[in-house]
Amino acid sequence: MEHWQAWLYVAAVLIPLASFTIQILGMRILGNKNAYVATAAIATCFALSCFGLISYITTGPGVSTFLSLHGHHGGHEGGDSSAHDSGHGPAAHSPTAGEHSPAAGEDSPAEHAPKAEPHKGEGGGDSEPAEAGHNANHGPLVWQGQFNWSALGGSIMGNPLILTLGVYIDLLSALMFTMVSFIAMLVHIYAMGYMHGDPRYPRFFAYLSLFCFSMFGLLASPTIFMVFVFWELVGVCSYFLIGYWFEDLNNARAALKAFVTNRVGDVGMLIGLGLIWSYFGTFQIADINKALSDPGIRDSDSRITRATAGDNVTVMVQSSPNQDGTPGKVVSRTIPYLMLTIAGLGIFAGCAGKSAQVPLHVWLPDAMAGPTPVSALIHAATMVAAGVYLVGRFYALFTAETLLYIAYTGGVTMIIAATIALVQNDYKKVLAYSTISQLGMMMLGLGSLGWAAGLFHLITHAFFKALLFLSAGSIYHSVHTYDMPKLGGLLKKMPITGYCMLLATMAISGVPLLSGFYSKDAILAATLKFAYDTGHLPLFACAAIGSAMTAFYMFRMWFLVFDGTSRSAHLEQVSHSSHHDDHGHHHHGDPVAHAHESEPAMAWPLIALAIPTVIVGYPITILPFGEPILEQMLSYSAPVTTPSLAEYHIPAMLVSFVVASLGIGGAALFYSRWRIFSAEPFAKNFAVLYKLFQNKWYFDHIYDTIFVKPVMSLATNVAKFDKLVVDGIVNGAAKTTMIVSRFSNYFDRNAIDGMVTGVSETVLKLGSRSQLLQTGRLRQYLAVLAFGVIVLFCWLYVWIQG
Amino acid sequence: MLSDNILLTSLWLLPFAGSLAVLAVPQNLERLIKWLALGVCTGTFALTLITLLLYILPGESGVSPSSNPLSDRVLNNIIRKAGDGSDFMAIELEGSGHDGRNDLVVRLPWIPSFNIQYYLGVDGISLSLLVLAGFVAVLSCLASFPIEKSVKGYYSLFLLLTASMIGVFLSLDLFLFYVFFEVMLLPMYFLIGIWGGENREYAAIKFLLYTLFGSVFILVAILILYFWPGDNPATVVEVTSISMNLEQVGFRAHTFDIVKLTQAATKTEFYGRSIQTVIFALFLVGFCVKLPSFPFHTWLPDAHVQAPTPISMILAGILLKIGGYGMIRMAWPLAPGGAQELSYFVALLAVFSIIYGALAAMAQTDFKKLVAYSSVSHMGYVTLGMAAMSMTGDARIYSYGVNGAMFMMIAHGITSTGMFFLVGVIYERAHTRDLNKFGGLFATMPVYAGISFLIFFGSMGLPGLCGFVAEVFVVLAAFKFDMTIGILAASAVILTAAYVLWTLQRVFLGKPAGASDAHSHGAAHGHDDHAHGDDAHTGSYPDLTKREIIIAAPLVFFTVALGVLPSPFLLDWMSPSVDETVRAILRSKTVITLSSQPTDLKKDLIIVPRAIETAVR
Repeated sequence: MEHWQAWLYVAAVLIPLASFTIQILGMRILGNKNAYVATAAIATCFALSCFGLISYITTGPGVSTFLSLHGHHGGHEGGDSSAHDSGHGPAAHSPTAGEHSPAAGEDSPAEHAPKAEPHKGEGGGDSEPAEAGHNANHGPLVWQGQFNWSALGGSIMGNPLILTLGVYIDLLSALMFTMVSFIAMLVHIYAMGYMHGDPRYPRFFAYLSLFCFSMFGLLASPTIFMVFVFWELVGVCSYFLIGYWFEDLNNARAALKAFVTNRVGDVGMLIGLGLIWSYFGTFQIADINKALSDPGIRDSDSRITRATAGDNVTVMVQSSPNQDGTPGKVVSRTIPYLMLTIAGLGIFAGCAGKSAQVPLHVWLPDAMAGPTPVSALIHAATMVAAGVYLVGRFYALFTAETLLYIAYTGGVTMIIAATIALVQNDYKKVLAYSTISQLGMMMLGLGSLGWAAGLFHLITHAFFKALLFLSAGSIYHSVHTYDMPKLGGLLKKMPITGYCMLLATMAISGVPLLSGFYSKDAILAATLKFAYDTGHLPLFACAAIGSAMTAFYMFRMWFLVFDGTSRSAHLEQVSHSSHHDDHGHHHHGDPVAHAHESEPAMAWPLIALAIPTVIVGYPITILPFGEPILEQMLSYSAPVTTPSLAEYHIPAMLVSFVVASLGIGGAALFYSRWRIFSAEPFAKNFAVLYKLFQNKWYFDHIYDTIFVKPVMSLATNVAKFDKLVVDGIVNGAAKTTMIVSRFSNYFDRNAIDGMVTGVSETVLKLGSRSQLLQTGRLRQYLAVLAFGVIVLFCWLYVWIQG
Repeated sequence: MLSDNILLTSLWLLPFAGSLAVLAVPQNLERLIKWLALGVCTGTFALTLITLLLYILPGESGVSPSSNPLSDRVLNNIIRKAGDGSDFMAIELEGSGHDGRNDLVVRLPWIPSFNIQYYLGVDGISLSLLVLAGFVAVLSCLASFPIEKSVKGYYSLFLLLTASMIGVFLSLDLFLFYVFFEVMLLPMYFLIGIWGGENREYAAIKFLLYTLFGSVFILVAILILYFWPGDNPATVVEVTSISMNLEQVGFRAHTFDIVKLTQAATKTEFYGRSIQTVIFALFLVGFCVKLPSFPFHTWLPDAHVQAPTPISMILAGILLKIGGYGMIRMAWPLAPGGAQELSYFVALLAVFSIIYGALAAMAQTDFKKLVAYSSVSHMGYVTLGMAAMSMTGDARIYSYGVNGAMFMMIAHGITSTGMFFLVGVIYERAHTRDLNKFGGLFATMPVYAGISFLIFFGSMGLPGLCGFVAEVFVVLAAFKFDMTIGILAASAVILTAAYVLWTLQRVFLGKPAGASDAHSHGAAHGHDDHAHGDDAHTGSYPDLTKREIIIAAPLVFFTVALGVLPSPFLLDWMSPSVDETVRAILRSKTVITLSSQPTDLKKDLIIVPRAIETAVR
């Protein structure tokens, strides 16, 4: 393989699959040792991912590239830029090849050497030598390799049309691999403690391995087709794990709901796939990105608009690779602007399903039925973020309208989910709605042209949300309830969990010097600039208000669980004194009384996650000045040039600080030990809103009324129609035939009957003592049959004569 | 004699002989009968695999039959009149890189006065279905072992059924095809009518008469092809030669030769567009009955519900495929102009069938009926893949459609065989198929549940499993053909997911049915304490036996293998033949000359390499 590192990632994808296969086939032999197989596999993947990331940075851009104060903003995707505008300066919309940093002089000489051969790759023996045109573009380093999964139509047009599978690794995928494998590894370790004693413990780890394989495959996908394949596979893993405790039918129903809701989004994705296939003739994401990042069809903010691209967008697209692995021809393709927009919306529909965006968000809260480690890994950190990842990965596909739609979807999702989170009493549900809300914020960032900002928040969020969920699991493991009104004052009993969760809560609320602060700041800056440039102020408002609510409900949760004293104990005492009932067991029914810190297998992963929760967003100065290193690294693989947000960072930071303070302060005033307000009067005063939030904005009711029930009744009616009408006609015809056949009976008995029954009786007598023959009906049927055949042959004879 | 003649003939003759041999075994030696039948089926399967190997591997001349299109290979086998014109003789050509002995075509005069031949041949299309037939025959024979009612007659008819199905796929002569097609109905009729469920007589006669009804249409279409005087006989070109020289001969119809008729229909205007429309419509109705497609599908649920498990496996696994095979081998290539004329209507019918089948499946409470309706839904993809004849732009996308249709037949052959087998397994234990009476089997029968999930997901079109490949190919082609149809076909995946998952939920998830009433606690794992109780009310049954695992394992293997690596397992050797058919259909004169967008096609034609152009000429 041209780049041996591509094999590294092939291995990282396949090792969990091998682990899954070993666990499933060896379930009886391995038993609970499955956990070690799975954990060893994922640890290997983590090692490979780290190694790959380091190798990428050192052989690719070089470490120094990302240690600057002000990063570079996108624009490496060379595309055909060298052909177009090698003369352009570092203007915002000029994706000049090799122009990695607007700050001249940052480019170290070492940086250029490996980039002389970008986009090279091959795989599975199908080498894909770099095309001459590719070499000219100093795009970022990519390790890739593909093999032909299907190649059809070769004899029709000379060369076949090919669908490939493979790996495509740029810095974005390398970072995602590292993040996913790190969290997955910790979740595996944690689950060994959390799931201990579960009757299906080995199966749980097999599912986890299958999920890791699917997730890595998704991250490594070079084509949108392969994304779809792994999209469904992570979906099915999610299905199995949500319904893991299937004895309770509610869990099974939640799993079904998750899968079917995702399938609704997937139909959109299939529509997108179909349009892309029909108009571009290739599924290669990078090639389509490259074609559509043509500055000629983009405006000054690097968006595709009808004004700049015209009603019919014509771009030069590289066809899917040839059968021998060589790159396809670059041909001119035209796609109507409307179709391009629909294709983008279709792909986004898939992303909205997976990332639980309104209106497809309803499945994620129900998905909390799965074991908590699963919620942390799949339904918080990795799989649900895949939608955001795909929007980022396929960013060039989206026209200005699609991006705006994405931004508003994200904004609305953020607000709706946050309002529901405000009134939840189940701390795991709070986290679920918080996840939806944060995913909305990422989409909002991406839609507001903050490409790096959205993905930056994806990664920081993955760490602290995983930490939040694992802490929640730790709490549940100790107190066996999700009900916050029963809890309180756990900090003393569970200090590790409590302080780790506090860190994560601070991070998600946007407290300075924690990772979430930097990534939220980036998104706020993006929406601020977008609002300033285009007048879409609501988007900025969503981000700001949503952030305030996030800080509020997250600290509400933390205070309710950890601060003060146990409310159960309090209630208990009240009931005690009122009933004068002497139990002798004072803390009966108080879950907090027996709470204890979780075992090391569960506590250590919390600590391990707390570290990235703090540091992963740091810029080189640590202080909130300069562009965070991680954001710079992400920008490096931006598929299109994104506008610089530098001058919006300070105002955004101020806003961020203010809203976080408001939220945290508000939560403290209502729920902490220093509280001076009570929440109940507010709930009563805003009863309409409170009810709306309590009922989750009635989405489930509405869907049940307008989709589920009508489809079920349609199905019942179709079945009735089938039985009464379609089959009724058939049976009616049969009856008519029977009547006609009575007329032919006379002929039957005299001419053919003897012969036919002779034959059939022989067959049947040899076969069985059939009672059928004695009824005489069979004889009759056979006669009809034979008669029919004879008539046909007579007819044939007449035809031949004529 | 000639090796491929014996091989192809024994493909159908072996089970036929087996059918007679079973009759010769004394009635009381039931075990011998079973193992003899299984041996014959295994032998047949082995023969199909040998055929496959011969097809893929290069022969003595260094050329594998798979690299030559069927239409070229048949040229090595010709029938000529002897010098005095009185006698017919078959000649197999040798030399010049074409080995008549190893071309997997058999051609002998049968009824010379009507130009009827004993004409067998395989290409990727028929071979894939032949291998499937052999495979399913072995598995269903193994699944037949629990049957105790008049074993001898059962296996005799079973083998007769196998023989005739294989004959159907082998025939290259329409008359021979029709004979096998009709012969197939009788054993099926008895197998349902004698060994079926409580309402078997009704189901059997319905199956028989319905299929006969459909076959009348096929027969009329065949006769029209035979007797058609020709719309434009003067321009006819036919390829026929003893020394591989291209020779022009007038075509006069009066043949049942599928290859020759395909050439006449696609390369000439002998069959004009209007008569092609008639022929196509007749074939379509005939094969829609067999497939089955809405509105000719109602025999299927009855037949399936009443048929014994192994017969359901054969019925879903192979018999339905004859409908699809007829479409790809006859309806489209023999009447491409008609197919194009009606393509939009057919595509709509197909999409309707997909959605209708899925909705009807969703409303069923009988497990077997549900699976039967899912077949109606899935077979819609076969029709849709064929009908998505995009005449503009990249013609290769239509190839994806037809390949998807073929793939769907194989994939459905595997998954539906598996599903009916699995339904049979639980029916044997619970004596009910009522979905509402099951539950919680995941806990009590983990192996059975795991296999069921995998095979049902394969049928649902989960990526990595075989159904997905077919669905995605067909849907992609449908998008190119017409966006509305593409969107409708894509939307059907929601319904499919819904009914499959709901079924799995009702059968496998939750607490074991009935257990919750009798035992309030620990029901999920409490099967020990009532192991000798009434099984039907405790919901705990023994997991799969060894025999059942042996049947399920290959199905599981191919469900995964075809989904992960479709090319090496199937497409690599099947798709050249499919592409050949697609090319013939798309470039047929009746389609091109009357196509509404001749300019775009012209553009496509230029891209076709000259080599292929000359080969065609």
